[in-house]
Amino acid sequence: MGSYLIVKSLIMAGLLISSFYLFWTKVKKLFHLMKAVDGVNSAIIDRIPERIGVLFKDVLGQTNVRRKKMPGWAHTLIFFGFLAVQPHSLELMIRGVFPGFSVGHLFPGLYNVYLFIADILAFLVLAGLAYAIYRRLLEKPKYLTMGKDANLIILFTGVIIISFHLINACQLVSDYAAHGYNYKGVFPVSTLAVSVLGLNTLSSVSKTIFFEVVYWIHMLTIMGFLIYIPGSKHLHLLAAAPNVFLKPLAREKAIKKTDIEDEDAESFGLGKINELNWYNVLNLYACTECGRCQEQCPADFSGKPLSPKAIVHDLKIELFRCSRMILDNKKDEIEPFVGETTGITSDILWSCTTCRACEDICPVNIQHLDFILEARKYQVLMKASFPEEMQETFTNLENQGNPWGFASDTRADWCRDLDIPTMEEKPDADILWFVGSAQSFDDRGIKIARSLASLLKKAGVSFAILGAREWGIGDTARRAGNEYLAQMMIMTNVELLNEYKPKKILTACPHTYNMLKNEYPGFGADYPVIHHSEFLLDLVNQGKLVPKKAGLGTITFHDSCYLGRWNGIFDAPRQLITKMNRGEKPVEMPRSRDKGFCCGAGGGRMFMEETPGTYINVERAREVIATDAECVAVACPFCSTMLQDGLKECDSNIKVLDLAELLDQQV
Amino acid sequence: MTKTGVLIETADNAVKNTLWGVIAAAAKGGDVAAFLLDEKADSYKESLESYGVKEVVSISSHGVELAKRPEAAAKALADGVKTLGVTALLGVSSPVGNDLLSRTAVELNAPLALDCVDLDFADKTVKKSNFSGKAIATLEMTAEPFVCGIRPNSFEPEKQPAVCSIIDHTVAIENRDGVIIKSVEAATGKKDLTEANVIITGGRPMASAENFQILEECAQCLDAVVGASRAAVDAGYAPHSMQVGQTGKIVSPGLYIGCGLSGSVQHFAGMKTSRVIVAINTDKDAPIFTKSDYGIIGDLFEVVPALTRELKKQG
Repeated sequence: MGSYLIVKSLIMAGLLISSFYLFWTKVKKLFHLMKAVDGVNSAIIDRIPERIGVLFKDVLGQTNVRRKKMPGWAHTLIFFGFLAVQPHSLELMIRGVFPGFSVGHLFPGLYNVYLFIADILAFLVLAGLAYAIYRRLLEKPKYLTMGKDANLIILFTGVIIISFHLINACQLVSDYAAHGYNYKGVFPVSTLAVSVLGLNTLSSVSKTIFFEVVYWIHMLTIMGFLIYIPGSKHLHLLAAAPNVFLKPLAREKAIKKTDIEDEDAESFGLGKINELNWYNVLNLYACTECGRCQEQCPADFSGKPLSPKAIVHDLKIELFRCSRMILDNKKDEIEPFVGETTGITSDILWSCTTCRACEDICPVNIQHLDFILEARKYQVLMKASFPEEMQETFTNLENQGNPWGFASDTRADWCRDLDIPTMEEKPDADILWFVGSAQSFDDRGIKIARSLASLLKKAGVSFAILGAREWGIGDTARRAGNEYLAQMMIMTNVELLNEYKPKKILTACPHTYNMLKNEYPGFGADYPVIHHSEFLLDLVNQGKLVPKKAGLGTITFHDSCYLGRWNGIFDAPRQLITKMNRGEKPVEMPRSRDKGFCCGAGGGRMFMEETPGTYINVERAREVIATDAECVAVACPFCSTMLQDGLKECDSNIKVLDLAELLDQQV
Repeated sequence: MTKTGVLIETADNAVKNTLWGVIAAAAKGGDVAAFLLDEKADSYKESLESYGVKEVVSISSHGVELAKRPEAAAKALADGVKTLGVTALLGVSSPVGNDLLSRTAVELNAPLALDCVDLDFADKTVKKSNFSGKAIATLEMTAEPFVCGIRPNSFEPEKQPAVCSIIDHTVAIENRDGVIIKSVEAATGKKDLTEANVIITGGRPMASAENFQILEECAQCLDAVVGASRAAVDAGYAPHSMQVGQTGKIVSPGLYIGCGLSGSVQHFAGMKTSRVIVAINTDKDAPIFTKSDYGIIGDLFEVVPALTRELKKQG
């Protein structure tokens, strides 16, 4: 026995050193890769106490992952159980090398309490794994990757947990395994294994052999797991927590401002994998392909080639494929990733509506759009490659400042008969109303604008517009990757706004709102902005607008992505509807608020053809119809058009009305 | 008498309709010589004569397929222009026209203006429309001959029968600039919407692909091309190649007849430069009526067949 222990200790020491060394070299390489990429991450890591709070809430509290209930609970059980077994496994590892090592003798009380809890938590892992297996074998959700990788991990984890219990069981019945410590009453679950397997009936030698077998299975699996993690999607175990720690703390964000005047720049946007920045890389490491992004994605839902999960996965594979070239500084050999090598095609990039459902749902806060929008920039600015139909839109935006190409000097024609002052005429107006292209030129949008104008007058608001000097806000151009055109448009408006220095800007378009609030400050125009849903609610709350007593019937509300997910305005429109409809809350569609389903128009998609698959707006229209509402309220001119068209396609006569139109009927 | 040249484009064994206006424009500058990159000049002679063309110049180059070889065609054309001594070479500003005219101008080292809406031979000036028609630029052509592309439908065709002679002009061109690997036919053999002078478009109320036949019948009487709104294309009633609008074809015909169109901004953006817009819709409040020159409130399934009958009656 004595000589076996010496051999065991030598083998154990050798295996531990080599497996930890291998693990360490792999992790080091991943870290070097993060540092070797060329992109610049301009985000500042601030508010550390708040970020530590996020770690407690999202990682230890597992709150984010549990937004999807059953899989979330399964994950929570596996997470805690897996963590709980580690200290005991570590003790056993050390004991394999130094047979005399024992923590129990030093702190018996604490040790017993820990083992008692760990034994229960470990068992709960099996419940979590059972659910994971059930999902993979029976539920088989489309968004879940059914790869070897995932199955192997379930197997690894299962073996580690079962062998943990068997080791514990041995420690209850074998003096050799117990190593002179009394484990009686310490293992509530493993005790059951003793009676189920009849371990008590074994001879002392058999008990020793059984212990040694499960011990080696346990240790070898853990070491195998350790080596396996860094190269698999379970790199997640290492990268998820830091990625969550570094997540953008605010919901609102701006697209990265590209310095288009940088004369040394050889490329704009994200073309080659080495142009990622370290935070992008960490994002890729953190993904474990849970598929929640894909489940929420309107493009995937409607049969488009895009899956946010696949983009992240494919980029990670491309990064690993090119890792040698990046680390050895042979970056010139790297080819642009859009194409056959990665499977990321331009069709995939152009399918995105930028609705941000993927980012919002991601349990580890991956910023999918950082990849997609930067890749679009490269396609447009470097390759002049974009959907053919965008050519006309880009030209119109450049020449006339609106996507349809209407003469720019007719921008204020919609209100010719309304006697609305311009900022030039009324520079001290309390409110500068930035009308936006859709509500200046599109007949449908003009109706919304005229309703809002009527409300502002009824409430006695001191307001003015920019008139024909207003220019397209730049949202479509920017999200369609034409950063150059977008910045030209933005600067036109920035100079104009700075001329008037408005006290507050009002807009009835969420895209305009998002640009003014989150992106214009980066170009030197930082003014308070308010969306009409909030502004009108204020006016009603202040009693400046008093809704009629008669109701409007059943109303459902469709969340605009740029109002909701991009800017967190979910409640104001709902409260406004309730106030103007005799206190009746809007009926909710199954996909609402932060899980709201896009209308299909965002990210420039309004001006592109939608093939293949079904139409996103028709999918949404069906959901509207299923609510049995008489009217769907919207807060965005694009949503209004898309839903109207979708409902027509379904031969439905449910009305689509903007909040301003509804309220104008009521006061 | 001075001579002006016109580059003729053909399709389906006939001179493209957009050329008649260009010939009318050229006639203001002298006798019109029609340059054809087609050896079948005979078959076009009659129709060209009826619009007053005096000479048909059939350009060929020892078996080089000029119609498919713009670089060779431009050399041959330039040679023809010099040989015949025309003072100007006109063509229609179509994709093919713009390509050949530009290349020919380079070969001739001649001034070039494309997409012109007016032309004055006396002053040697052309007019171009800028900023969506808000500004007209007048350009002076500083040498002769000059090359000029005319925007489709800018000049009214004028019938003025003449007798014309055919001149065969063969140019030797070294065939070394390129080879044709593959020719791909366009998806539909139909006439191009973007060059049509009359367009009749159906919207969602067409209700089926078969019903587009009533538009086709009417189109035949008007020599029009049939288009479709995005809603009709989405519903599967018509192919995307027929779609007029922001994400389809941008058109500017002389006459645009919209049947059952609501007049969405996305559609209007694609046809707003039409000279005359006629709308047929059952809904008197349809936004299209605010954008039309003429509106017919009625069911397109009654109005269009009635229109077809009347047009047939009048021959």
